[in-house]
Amino acid sequence: MKRLQRDGVVLALIEALRGKGSWCGETHVQKSTYFLQELLQVPLGFDFILYKHGPYSFDLSDALEQMRADRFLTYDPRPYPFGPSLAPDENGELLRRLFAKTRARYQERVDFLADEFASKNVAQLERIGTAMYVTLEDPERTGRDKRAMRIHKLKPHIPLDVARAAVDEFDSLREAVQEFAA
Amino acid sequence: MSIKHTHEIRDPIHTFIRVSSEERRVIDSPAFQRLRNIHQLATTFLLYPGATHRRFEHSLGVMELASRVFDVVTMKENVLNDDVDRILPQDDHQRHYWRQTVRIAALLHDVGHLPFSHAGEEKLLPEGWDHERLTYNIICSNQIAPLLDNLKLNAPDVARLAVGPKKYKEYAPGNSVFSDWEAILSEIITGDAFGVDRMDYLLRDSHHAGVGYGRFDHHRLIDSLRILPFTRDESLEPALGVDQGGIHGAEALLLARYFMFTQLYFHPVRRIYDIHLLDFLSQWLKGGQFSTKVDKHLEMTDNEVMAAILSAARKPAAAGHDSARRITLREHFRLLYERNPNDVKVNPEAVEAIHAAAQNEFGEQNVRCDVIPAKTKGYQFPVVTHDRRIVSSLDISDTLNKIPPATVGYVFIDPVVREKAHQWLESNRNTIIKEPAGEGDNETATT
Repeated sequence: MKRLQRDGVVLALIEALRGKGSWCGETHVQKSTYFLQELLQVPLGFDFILYKHGPYSFDLSDALEQMRADRFLTYDPRPYPFGPSLAPDENGELLRRLFAKTRARYQERVDFLADEFASKNVAQLERIGTAMYVTLEDPERTGRDKRAMRIHKLKPHIPLDVARAAVDEFDSLREAVQEFAA
Repeated sequence: MSIKHTHEIRDPIHTFIRVSSEERRVIDSPAFQRLRNIHQLATTFLLYPGATHRRFEHSLGVMELASRVFDVVTMKENVLNDDVDRILPQDDHQRHYWRQTVRIAALLHDVGHLPFSHAGEEKLLPEGWDHERLTYNIICSNQIAPLLDNLKLNAPDVARLAVGPKKYKEYAPGNSVFSDWEAILSEIITGDAFGVDRMDYLLRDSHHAGVGYGRFDHHRLIDSLRILPFTRDESLEPALGVDQGGIHGAEALLLARYFMFTQLYFHPVRRIYDIHLLDFLSQWLKGGQFSTKVDKHLEMTDNEVMAAILSAARKPAAAGHDSARRITLREHFRLLYERNPNDVKVNPEAVEAIHAAAQNEFGEQNVRCDVIPAKTKGYQFPVVTHDRRIVSSLDISDTLNKIPPATVGYVFIDPVVREKAHQWLESNRNTIIKEPAGEGDNETATT
């Protein structure tokens, strides 16, 4: 996907998340984009590693900064305890117009994800994102407990029982995606 | 007479940098000594004559600052709670091991740099290679690893922290996940917000170039650094942040970086010299690229390249003669067009559009383009307030909210056609900078 075309899809995701009531800080966008790309197969081309609050892409972080520079996005200040959220800026309309086809092509997947994720907070996204990461990391590691232990090892601040619940939540989400795709 | 085990090195930024005898053996290695011959700011000395400092002294400075930060954030009275204490080394042996690892990783973080540092790295190395990968390979090679054995350090641990998590996955895919502790240590060296690499280069580049923009109170800032659980929204993942007393120091650092990028690092004349250098190297190097073999890499410095440039500039038949002549005689291409907010509103890729049209009009050989996209700047980090709440930096700093992204785009033209090109651009500007085509009827989205 070309840069501006990809920016058009990221903007659609941010608009959908905000439309469903998400606070939409950078962490929300990072985790949602990870799922959109890896689970819903939208070819955005970002490279994710397990890092800050779960799966994280330095490329995406840079891309969001460039979208600010191009005035597609801006920071929308929110009062404490919420940090600033990402919101469409004055040039957003240009992307909507130029890439209407691409956005339409992926809109159902974007909406599906926004429905699932908009109400989740950073900690919930971190857990379910990490659950997906450890599942994809080793296809042989299919058992619930093994995956939960891996999460706990990588992110010691996530207790084992919470990690197990995150694995269950991810498995349910994966089933829902399979039904959605069918 | 007793043997001296600690050695002092005079430094214009940090006054004294102290090293142990074992550390000095690493400093004395050919791989590290090579950095005496790699300019920190490539060809910037052609515009800012004082900017002749090298990666050698910068690397020593990064080591010095890394251990200062390590000591502050692991000091018992600076550990906020048990969640943070849990990730810290639990005994003196472990603490000593990681402190030494951070120091050496900081010292060696730049050993993979090509001659003239970043200039043209993407094009001058085979696909999949960059200076971080070379750094990783050198640290793990026979050049350095045996010296780390003397320090009782594990070379891959040093290499991991030196290159950081962003690139590490590509070099060692089987073991790419950084623990919370490793992520913090790596952030101390190369982090977006408080990485000591950045702290040192801002202070040092500012000092040598003779520009005041890069200065900030790094003593105050370092004293206020803390490892903090980012408790907003219930996530307890630790991150490097500051005590509220240090927020103005952090603002000053991030503003310094913004100004140094816009005024010095992205200066258009500096950028065009880098492009002429890249053109020269593409023609002069065998196969147009540097070797990725460790021994060959270590043989190549700015000195070899500069000697070749001076020689090629005198010989019209030499490979790269035209670029060499432009560098030595200051006949560099001139700025024709610069990215600006008004044009971006109409076409976010206005620079690329002008570049293509100018190439069409004046020939590819007479036009060059340079686009530097915005990068993450780390403006968001946790802050512990006076009443011990943990908030985002962006919640309490209007300054950080308002620092614009630093991005530039330039089109350069051969001075021979400069006047004509400016007249041409004046007449055709609005036709060239028009809304891009987007998706035509024939173009479908990539799946």
